[in-house]
This record gives sequence, structure tokens and C-alpha cells, in this order.
Amino acid sequence: MAAVKKKIGRPKPLRQRIGENKSWQKASAIVLPLALGLLIVLIWQTELLHSWLDTDTFTLPLMDKIGSIMYDNSDKIWANAVDTLKVAGIGLAAGSLLGYLVAIFAALLPRLGQGSLYVIGAFASIPVVAMAPVLNNWTKDVSSDAAVRSMVSKILVVTLICAADMGLNAYRGLTEIKLYSEDMMSIYAAKKRVVLWKLRIPNSIPYVFTALKVSVPASIMTAIVSEYFAEKITGVGRQIRENIVLAQYSTAWAYIATACVIGILAYVLLMAAQTILLKRYH
Amino acid sequence: MKNRTKRMMCAITIAAMTIGSLAACSKSDSNAAATTTAPAATETTASTPAAETSVLTSGDIITRAAKSGQVGNWGLGNEYEVLALLAKYGLPSEYLSQDFTMDGFDDNSILLASAMTYNELGLVKNSYDGGYKYGDSVNIIDMNDEGVAMMEDNIFCTKTFAKANPETVAAFLYASLKGWEYAVANPEEAAKICYEYGSSVSPEHQEYMAKEVAKLVSTNTKGEKVTEVGLMDDAAMQQTLDIAKQYVTLADASANAAFQAMTLDDIRDASFYTKAKASDGKFAVEKPEVSIQLKWLPDAQFAGYYCALKLGYYTEAGFTDVKIVSGGGDIAETTAVNNGTVDFGVTWETNLASADASGMDLVEIAQIFQRSGLVLVYKPENFK
Repeated sequence: MAAVKKKIGRPKPLRQRIGENKSWQKASAIVLPLALGLLIVLIWQTELLHSWLDTDTFTLPLMDKIGSIMYDNSDKIWANAVDTLKVAGIGLAAGSLLGYLVAIFAALLPRLGQGSLYVIGAFASIPVVAMAPVLNNWTKDVSSDAAVRSMVSKILVVTLICAADMGLNAYRGLTEIKLYSEDMMSIYAAKKRVVLWKLRIPNSIPYVFTALKVSVPASIMTAIVSEYFAEKITGVGRQIRENIVLAQYSTAWAYIATACVIGILAYVLLMAAQTILLKRYH
Repeated sequence: MKNRTKRMMCAITIAAMTIGSLAACSKSDSNAAATTTAPAATETTASTPAAETSVLTSGDIITRAAKSGQVGNWGLGNEYEVLALLAKYGLPSEYLSQDFTMDGFDDNSILLASAMTYNELGLVKNSYDGGYKYGDSVNIIDMNDEGVAMMEDNIFCTKTFAKANPETVAAFLYASLKGWEYAVANPEEAAKICYEYGSSVSPEHQEYMAKEVAKLVSTNTKGEKVTEVGLMDDAAMQQTLDIAKQYVTLADASANAAFQAMTLDDIRDASFYTKAKASDGKFAVEKPEVSIQLKWLPDAQFAGYYCALKLGYYTEAGFTDVKIVSGGGDIAETTAVNNGTVDFGVTWETNLASADASGMDLVEIAQIFQRSGLVLVYKPENFK
């Protein structure tokens, strides 16, 4: 055997052997991003980054300073983060639901429904900076409480953005079905309702997650931008703006960091949900 | 047959949706009108006997507007006088974010709205293009009368720039102050000059602005005449700093400590003003091409600089090119000056002090507006 092996080829180089090692593959998925993160922290904290970007610690404060501001003002930052999360969360839920319903409508009545998909697609192409002030004025009559009406206007913006994303993706999931399965359903003389429940909706689940992967970060970004125009001064995005205009860069960075944390956590939650749910279906 | 029924169905649904949405629109409108008028109506009936006997003081007005959460301000550093006023009457320091129109005041969503005497107040009162035509039916609460006035438009640059270019700074001040003197003496001509330089407002409003700005430049917080344009009045500046220390809390603990320890000497340098005043108008400028960052859009709020440019005062003082850079909404004039994008800037004292506390290197070299231009405007009928 040994002789045969020798004939086939040289022993594999170390790099290849490491690359094929199962436990290294597993570990590297954690170790490499961690190393990159550490590297960034290192060049940031040693001000190497500042010299490369030709900036100073005033414009780009050191990480420990940002951290200490976040710690000192944790109550205020938390309250602002909750307001942003509320807007993003409710808007995401409402928008995704709306988008999915439109997609079902479009899948069942293609001639009528495709038009509505174009309509929400068109809505999504309006820039948030244009949509937010319009909706802000539009919702002035919703409530006499400014906190409520600015919340509603912000949620509406997020809803419209998320609806388009979900609608277009879910429509593909509901219609791009393996040909034989659709034929089989018609052989069974299944009603449209049954085809929808047993075939179309389960088939659309992966597409729903594709949509969510885009719309979860988009909902947070949209919430942050729409806060700029709201009547009530609250939210992570609004604090970034206020602090930058007042030349409080380190505080602005503390809120930028908070926005990053919110985005990353939301994405992690989504990935966890996807792993659990998709296992069940497939 | 089946297709035809489908088509019929479609047509009916579309018709129903259109009618439904139209009906919903009109319904929500009437609802809105009802909700906005209802509280006003109940208030008037409740307080008729009281209104006849007593005149409401500004304290009463502020208290009532603050209790219903309808005091408006733009924020972004413009809010400290309002916060100081709220605190003076023991009210919670909360206000609504006002956009850059007076629509909120017009539709009563803001009962007590912030306005600059030289801009928004004119739009509210006057009936020219863009005005809200309220005339003298609206009343104001003046920050100067309430004792919470803070110093607004000044001229500043970085300490480093001032140290390296003392002649340039003095020359720029000399020409700018001369421009301001002209603008105060001839507001109508000044308005025309501003309009030429790409104004953001109508010629009529420009003239109104120029006249009001002239008042701010030549009257102090106590209502006394000021003859020296650009004078840095220590008492008024100290009051500004004291109010600022009380109401500005910087989230960055070290910056906040620096802010609380700040004195007037940290943020203003009168030597350039003295030098410009004593000068015969001849300077050996180190940097003949300079720029100034405005705090807002080009209009008569900055009349002095436009007049100096148009009438050649900058050229006489030895400059070959002076650029006036427009500001607006989210443009931070402190940042623009600090990072060297522009050489000079116009800002408010509080903004300069808080920027310095968080690590900037700015110094005020002249105080253009001698009194606060901020007022709170209200419709008396909302408080009867």
C-alpha cells in the first residue's frame, strides 16, 4: 500500500493538509474573523489608522473613549436605541406582512396582482430622504401627541421600504415552483387554496429569508434616516446628527457604534431563526 | 364567459377601491379638523370669565404651551435659550423639533414656535410671497426681555490660524466691520446686494431681513444703542456662557468637565478687534485668499460680508479673493473652520464654546449681533 501511495504523488503540502483538516476548518470560521477584528482594534487604538486616513483623534476618537462614553451614558443610549428598534421592528413586521400579502395576491391573480408588485417596487425606489419629510407632514393629523405621530410617520417609511423587498422576493417563491409538483397538484385536482397552503407557501419560505436578509438591515437604516426628519427628537440616528452638528464627534461615534451593534444583533437573530425554521421545512 | 366575469370583478374591485380611498381621505380630513378645533373650543368656553379680567403674562403662555408639549425649536444648537426660558419657569426641558418652515405654527401643532426676528417672524407676519399673512395678530416673547438672551452671530477662526496670520485676521475684520457698518446704515441697498449674491428668499423678505438684522447689530440686550459694530460685550458674553454651562450637558465626560471650567478668555480674543479698529485700513496680509463659512443660506443675515465684497472693502484691505461659503441645515460651521476647509466662520457663542470643550481650537474675534434675535411667537387666540 505504502508503495502505491508513493507512486501516486508527493505527500500533500502542509498548507493543503491544514486546509483539509476538519477541526481547523471549523475553528478558522471563528479565528480568522476574530483576528481581523483584533487587527482593526490594534491599528485603530495605536492611531496607525489615523495616519493612514490622514485624520486625528478628534474626528475619529479612540475606541476606549467611545466605549467610556457609551458606558457613561448607557441609560440615554439605551432609551434612544429602544426607540429606533421599535420603529425598525414594527415597520419590518408590517412591511413584510404587507409585501407577502401582495405577493400572494399577485401569485393567485397574476394579471391583476403583478401591477401591484410594480407599484410597491416603485415605492421602494423613492429615496428615504425624500419620503420621510413627506410622510412626516402627512401624518400631522394622526395624533395630537408629537411622539406618537412622529413614530407613525417613521414606521410608515420603514413599512414601504420593507414591503417592496418582501413582495418581490416572496412572489418568486410563490410562483417559481418545480414543474412536476405543480402538474401533480393539478392531476390530484387540488383546489387553488390547497395548492397555496401545501405547495406555494412552503416553497416561498427560503425566499422570505432572502428578503429578510436585505430588509432587516434596511429597516434599521431606514429608521435611522427617517429619524432625521421626525418632530420628536429621539433615536440613534437623530442623536448622531445632533452631535455631529454640535461638533461632539466622540458622542456621535458612540451612537454610530450603537447603530452597528443593533444591526449586527438583528442579523444574528435572523440567521438563528433561519437555521431553526429552514431545518424544519427541508 | 369565465373571462368576462373575471374582468367584471376586476372593474368592480378597482372602482370600489378608488371610491373607498377617496371616501377615506375626505373622512380623515374632517376628523382631523374636528380634533384640532375641539380642544380649542372647550378651552375658550372654560376660560372666558378669567380672560376678561386678567392679561396673560409670558410666563402663563409658556407654562400652558409647555404643559401640552407644544413649544417648538429647531434644535441643533439653537435650543439653549428656549431651554433656559423653560427652566426659568420651572418647566420640563422638552420641545418639539421644528422644521425650517412655519407650517407647524400655522396649523397649530406648535403653539409657541421659535422664530428669528429677522427671518421667520417676518414670514409669519408679512403677506409677500412665502408669508403667512398674520400681520400684527401674533404676539411674541422676546429672549432679551426674559433675561435669557444668548449671543448669536459672531466671526471666528482657529487659534492657530489667528496666531499665524494676525494681519490677515485684522484685515478681514476691518473690511467685514466696514461692510456691516454700511449694511446697518443702508439696509435697503444691503438687501439688494444680498439678493444679487444668490439669495434664498424673495427681494421683499430680503429687505425686511436687512432692516431687522441692522437692529440686532446696533442694539444690545438691554435695548441700548451700540455704535461700535462687532464689539465684544463681556457682560453679555458672560451671561451666554453662564446659561450655556447650566443647560448644555455634553455626553463626553471629559469634554463636559472642560466646558464647565471654560472662561471667556478661552473662547474670545479682542486683540484683533482692537487692532482693526485702530488701523488706517492698510494691512500686510499673509494670506490674500480667504473664505468665510456662513451659518445659514446666503441672505441678509450676513449682509455685512456681502456688502464688503460688493463694495470692494476686502480688496482695499489687501485681499485678492474672498469666498463666502453658504451654510444650511446640517453644515457644521465649527467643523468646517476647524479642519481648515474655510478660514473664518459665523456661529453662535454656545456652539463655539461646546466645540472648543470637545477638542476644537476655535476663537471668537468679533461679535456681530449684539442681542438675541430669537423670539417665541404665538397666536393669542390659542391662549384665551
